[in-house]
Amino acid sequence: MYRSQRLALRYFTAAIVLFGVMTAAGLLSATYYIQPSLLYNVFDFHMAKIVHINTLVIWLLMGFIGAVYWFLPQELEREVVGIRLAEILFYVFCAAVAVVAAVFLFVQYGGSNQFSMWFINQGRKYVEAPRWAAAGIVVVVLTFVFNVVATAVRARRMTGILWVLMLDLVPLSVLYLDAFPQITNMSHDLYWWWWLVHMWVEATWEVLIGCLMAWSLMELLGTSRRIVETWLYIEVMLVLGTGILGLGHHYFWIGTPQYWLSIGGFFSALEPLPLLGMVVHAVYDAGTHHMHTTNRPAFYWVLAEAFGNFIGAGVFGFMMTLPQINLFSHGTQWTVSHGHFAFWGAYGCGVIAIIYLVLQRTREAQVLESHAWKWSFGLLNLGLIGMVGGLLVAGIAQAIYERAEGGSTLQAFVVASESSWFHSGMYARLAFGVVFALGYLTLVYDLLTIGRRVPIVATTQVASA
Amino acid sequence: MTPVALFTTAIALGLIVLSGGAYGVLYGAGSLRSSRRLLRAGYVCYAGQLLLVLAVCVAAPLAIVWKSFLVLSGIAYGFIPPITWRLLQALHHSNEPQP
Repeated sequence: MYRSQRLALRYFTAAIVLFGVMTAAGLLSATYYIQPSLLYNVFDFHMAKIVHINTLVIWLLMGFIGAVYWFLPQELEREVVGIRLAEILFYVFCAAVAVVAAVFLFVQYGGSNQFSMWFINQGRKYVEAPRWAAAGIVVVVLTFVFNVVATAVRARRMTGILWVLMLDLVPLSVLYLDAFPQITNMSHDLYWWWWLVHMWVEATWEVLIGCLMAWSLMELLGTSRRIVETWLYIEVMLVLGTGILGLGHHYFWIGTPQYWLSIGGFFSALEPLPLLGMVVHAVYDAGTHHMHTTNRPAFYWVLAEAFGNFIGAGVFGFMMTLPQINLFSHGTQWTVSHGHFAFWGAYGCGVIAIIYLVLQRTREAQVLESHAWKWSFGLLNLGLIGMVGGLLVAGIAQAIYERAEGGSTLQAFVVASESSWFHSGMYARLAFGVVFALGYLTLVYDLLTIGRRVPIVATTQVASA
Repeated sequence: MTPVALFTTAIALGLIVLSGGAYGVLYGAGSLRSSRRLLRAGYVCYAGQLLLVLAVCVAAPLAIVWKSFLVLSGIAYGFIPPITWRLLQALHHSNEPQP
């Protein structure tokens, strides 16, 4: 095993730990809706939400970085250049995350001054980490970019997947710089801030996970390089073609010119079309392999990614992306419902699939099989579908009572928040959040134990196949 | 937009994409197994999608430009599964070792 791959294992471990923190903070956030006085003035809702969202971004990012460190030496058949620096920065990254988490837990907020921005909280949603930590993330990402580019140059070898990955790393690192400007005009600030949030999530991350899935399919199903690379090019073309200007759906109501209503509505409404192609591809792969593989957990998580992405981003997104609907739905739990499903489908499932793929190699299991993975797969997906269903009900209640009927007044907000539909939705979200948390615990148990003992049944199945 | 129109239009839009997805899945499964029943079920889903598009165009208070978009994308949904499938087959066959 390459040193880079050992580093990847550390990144995966950190990612799964942060996945747990995210789940716990999410459960806490859900509980506040049922019990608003919970931990009042001790650890309020907004802090739990900050921890929930920031750990979401970081666990996925760590999963992606780990995956690249795993696949890169395999791809180029050599150790990653600058691996020592990458190893050091992994610990720096983890220490920084721990310090930021401690500050969020114990300090929480400060005054409106430079000190707070640098050392407590930047105050910008999704990138609340204080500025010193944001600068640290830039260093880590630049080192990561250096590792990838320098290794490819030293190996004097280039593949289609690597080209796409390296081109994608440019916006991945540059767009994060949007976390830094201090713009006092709210519309201007949001205009650029969405470049970071949207472009990362619906452009550069999509391409990154596309590269990782291409490597995964080659390893998992033995799909040829030519096929995965062809699909990767098509996917990149379609995702970027619709995703970049799909940014416009965030510009509907922030004070930007009216033409964004047309641009944003049109391109984001196109986004489900490439996802439909991915679903058909998933059916093709599943069918031609008759659902047989030596790594069923990874295979099922890859399938969950294709379907979750389509339903979460495609179906849930299309419901509310046209400006006339979005006028009522934006900023409600409806959006939260879409965000949860889309993130889970597009990225969460993919990272878990890659971790299972890696575990098969590290544990040298001919067949990776267990009972626990089925439970964790079922509980996590059932929990998530239940959560987004509850949020959807609550969000539609908000859109109807608060916006369409009440005209967005404060009184209408109160009426919507007290409606039985909203309450039922939030209770359902909490209940299914507990199911999701149980799924997480089962997942951790499974990741720790799977492949250490090969089940006799599985061995027999493969022998007979 | 009235609350009822908001609710029904949003649900219809979600169902349009969902039925497009069901068409894709059933078309793929039907092609894999050479099953006419599955293929027919897929076409039924696509027909359902077109009916939903029609219903939105007739009843929903959306602007004409979005209704036109829905009609065009509804037509595009019909072509995506067969084109994707043919492309996948061509790719995989051209990659098989020659005898």
